[in-house]
Amino acid sequence: MRHHIENKIYHVEILPPKQETEKLEVDLEAFAVKFRRVMESGYCACVTDNAMGNLAFQGTEMIEELGLEPREDLVMIHLNTFHTKEALDEILETCVAKGIRNLLVISGDGSDRLPRLQPLDIGAKGVEAVTSVELLRYIAERHPGFFHLGVAFNPYEPEEHEFGKMERKIAAGAEFIITQPVIGLHPVVERLLAKYPQVPVIVEAWMSKKLDLLSEAVGYEISPGTPYDPIENLKSLHSIYPHCGVYLSLLGFKTQYDLVKDCWK
Amino acid sequence: MRIVVCVKQVPGSSEAKIDPETKRIVREGVKAVMNPFDAYALEEAVRIKERLGGEVIALTMGPPRADIALREAISVGADSGILLSDRAFGGSDTWATSYALSKAVRKIGGVDLVICGKQAIDGDTAQVGPGMAAHLGWAQATYVMAIPEVGEKEFLAKRMHEDGWDLCRIRFPAVLTVVKDINRPRVPTLKGRLAAQKVEIPTWTAQDVGAEADKIGLEGSPTRVVKAEPPAARNKATL
Repeated sequence: MRHHIENKIYHVEILPPKQETEKLEVDLEAFAVKFRRVMESGYCACVTDNAMGNLAFQGTEMIEELGLEPREDLVMIHLNTFHTKEALDEILETCVAKGIRNLLVISGDGSDRLPRLQPLDIGAKGVEAVTSVELLRYIAERHPGFFHLGVAFNPYEPEEHEFGKMERKIAAGAEFIITQPVIGLHPVVERLLAKYPQVPVIVEAWMSKKLDLLSEAVGYEISPGTPYDPIENLKSLHSIYPHCGVYLSLLGFKTQYDLVKDCWK
Repeated sequence: MRIVVCVKQVPGSSEAKIDPETKRIVREGVKAVMNPFDAYALEEAVRIKERLGGEVIALTMGPPRADIALREAISVGADSGILLSDRAFGGSDTWATSYALSKAVRKIGGVDLVICGKQAIDGDTAQVGPGMAAHLGWAQATYVMAIPEVGEKEFLAKRMHEDGWDLCRIRFPAVLTVVKDINRPRVPTLKGRLAAQKVEIPTWTAQDVGAEADKIGLEGSPTRVVKAEPPAARNKATL
C-alpha cells in the first residue's frame, strides 16, 4: 500500500447498488461507469460491503457479473463479518481468481437480514464473536501471502480501547490502516501515525457537503447546514498528512471527480 | 418433492393506509414488498429442495405487478413462479383467497407440500394457510419453527406455542405455515436477481384454475368489514 501513497493513488469509494433498488439496471450501469472511470484514472476502486448495514450486492459479484476488469492492485474490496462461511470463501476465491489483492477487513454494521460468521465457522477459539481480528487471521491462514489486508481505525471511539483493538489487528496481520473521516488535524490520528510509523495510513476524506451525515460516525450531533467545503478539507488533509494516502468517501463523480486530481501535489 | 410457496405483496410496513370508503388497504401508489414472513417459507422450501431435490414453485395472487414478488422468490432459489391474476379475484377475503390458491395448487398437480408465512403483515389474519389446507383437504401444521426430519411419506414439524412447542409427524401432502424462528432467509445474489428478471411468469385466471365464480371475489367472501379505524392515541405514560 505504501506505493499507492508514493504514487499519489487515491482510494475512491464506490457503493454497489442496494438490494432494494427498483432500478437495478440503471444502478448497475452507474456502478460500472464509476468503476471504469476509477480504473482509467489509475486510482484504486474501493467497493463497500453492505455499508451502514444497508443490504447491497457484493463487490466481487458486481465485478464478475458486469464483466469489469480490475487493474492489478487497483481494487480494494471491503469485507465484513456478516457473511456465511460459504459466502466468505466464495468472495475470497473470486478475489484470488480476479487478482484482487487488497482487502479492507472490518467487523461491519450488520443487519437482521445478514448472517454473522460464527467463531466455529472459521476456527476461532476463545472468543464469543467474530470481529475483524478473527477474520484477518482466517484470511491470512487460508490464503497465505496473497492478500494485502487493511483495517479501519476510528479516532472518535474511546482512545485506549481503539488503540488496544489496533494492536490486536496488527498482530493478526493488518498491513495498512484506513481511518474514519477526518476533518483537518486530529490528535488521535497524530498518535496513530506516531505509534505505527511503518504501517501505511490512509485518512478518509469526507467528500459530501452534508457534514451532518457524519454524526453517527463521530458520535456527536452535527447540525444540518453546517458549512463544509470537502475540497478544502481534502487539500488540508494532504498538507497535514503528507505521508498518508487518502480515501475519498461519497465522492461526487459528476462535480468533484475532476477537481481532486489537482489536490494532491 | 414438489413444494409450492405462497407469497404475497404487501405495502411497506410504514406506508399502509386504509381506504375510509371501502375499508380495504390502499395498494395503489404504495411501495410493495414481499410479505416478510413469506421469505422464511421460501427459504425453508429452498433448503428442503437443496437437501432432497425436487422443485420449488412460488405462487401469488394479486395484480399484474405482483410478479415482482415472484421474481424475488426466484432470485433466492424458487424454480418458477405462477401469478394468479384476474379481476374476478378482486375483493376476495381470506376464505376466497385460500380457495383460489388451492385451486391453483390442484392445477399445478403433484404437490407434496405447501408452505406459507404464518401471516401477512397487512391483514394479519393468519388464515390463508389453514384455509388452503381446508380447501385441499390436506393435513396442516401452523406456526412451524423447525422441520427436523423430512421423509418420503411424512415429515416432522416442530410447532411453536405460547408456552413451548410440540412435535407433529405429518403425512404428505400437507400445508405448513412457518414463523421466523425457522431459519434466516438468504439474500439474493446479483446473478440470481438478474436471472429472475428474465424468467417468464405465467398468469393464470379464475377460469384457468377452474375457480367457481361464486366462491371468489366479493361474492365468495363471507367477511364484511363493518368499520376500520386506527387505535385511539395513547396517553403519555412514564414507566
